[in-house]
Amino acid sequence: MTTTTTIERERTDIQADPGPPPGATLLIPADVRMIVAHDDFERLCAANRDLRLELEADGTLIVMTPASTDGGGRELTLGAQLWNWSKANGQGKAFGPSAGYTLPDGSVKAPDASWIRRERLDALPREERDRFARIVPDFAAEVRSPSDGLNEVRAKMAAYIAHGVRLGWLIDPIRRTVEVYRPGREPETLTAPKSLSGEDVLPGFTLDLADILD
Amino acid sequence: MATTVIEREPLDIEAAEPVKALPALRVSPDVCLRVDHEGFARLCSLNGDLRLELQADGTLVVMSPASSNTGRQNALLTTRLTMWNEAAKLGVAFDSSAGFTLPDGSVLGPDASWIRRDRWDSLGPDDRDGFARIVPDFVAELRSPSDSLQKVREKMRGYLSQGVRLGWLIDPRSKIVEVYRPGRDVETLTAPKQVSGGDVLPGFTLDLAGILHDEA
Repeated sequence: MTTTTTIERERTDIQADPGPPPGATLLIPADVRMIVAHDDFERLCAANRDLRLELEADGTLIVMTPASTDGGGRELTLGAQLWNWSKANGQGKAFGPSAGYTLPDGSVKAPDASWIRRERLDALPREERDRFARIVPDFAAEVRSPSDGLNEVRAKMAAYIAHGVRLGWLIDPIRRTVEVYRPGREPETLTAPKSLSGEDVLPGFTLDLADILD
Repeated sequence: MATTVIEREPLDIEAAEPVKALPALRVSPDVCLRVDHEGFARLCSLNGDLRLELQADGTLVVMSPASSNTGRQNALLTTRLTMWNEAAKLGVAFDSSAGFTLPDGSVLGPDASWIRRDRWDSLGPDDRDGFARIVPDFVAELRSPSDSLQKVREKMRGYLSQGVRLGWLIDPRSKIVEVYRPGRDVETLTAPKQVSGGDVLPGFTLDLAGILHDEA
């Protein structure tokens, strides 16, 4: 515990030192479309660690508040199971909701949970992994929060698959459904499933949906 | 006063809806965000404490509240312009909160500005209550410590290209005033005591005490 705290403080000090002037703080309503260049997007992210930012392929900036308490709990329940399996499986690496990816269309997305095969990850240069790496995860999952429009999350999943994600889960606690996305197939809708299979993308992984869908 | 009431109305309507926390985005000056006119108007109504401008290419300019000293100098500038205008009764004077939509689509708020009465009267009420589509006859920009001189100069040239007939760039730091007029080179006055409004602001001479000089 003590060690962790110290490390966190050190990082804060390092960041506080050369930090750019904070600038002004702008309230952003969801219905205002803002366009930002890729480089500026990275600067915005660095200056807004408390927000969840994404970038659409056309440069549209998506600004999200931190997840709700329950939403964060669901994400962790999902992520913890994925991490446990991945650790034992050893074939790849699991990522949490703050991991951003630059997709081939230039969009920057951060799925709520994702996983990448080891050899694909190892092929990425170190500096690439320190940014929003230009890689498409093998697996991506989104847990829908009350503020997420269903159409938006569906479009996000469809885009993941179009860019090469091999398995996608749209977990919707509001409708108590899971939509399973696979390349070349229509999304499959499961109603109130107890668990989900990782199929051949996450071999041997079964996600227990208790505390996620409930 | 009228403007204040109008700005509050949309906020009251929103308050009646379920309260949703809006994300607050920190924007440093080196980040370029672009919005359309509608989005710009929404941002303005929700960020009343900020000064926002829109450039012709849709770039959003976010300014934090001015420094105390800049606000003091601005108050002197606006007051002196307004006092002359009250006596001369030739037009309408504006303070730094007034935004104008220029022909190139930019929405700018000069630190002080003035429009001839007949031109202002020709505007419809909707236009006056929004960011009116009119080019001020006169604008002044007061350079604050955080303003880059180059950027304020660009802004002045932009005003002129859109039809402003007289522009003053007042720079208390270097104690100069640059005078911008259409078709003429920029005239630089070094530590002037006052500056003349010429034929655009007939009879107005701005006393620069307390603005360019400390003796206020």
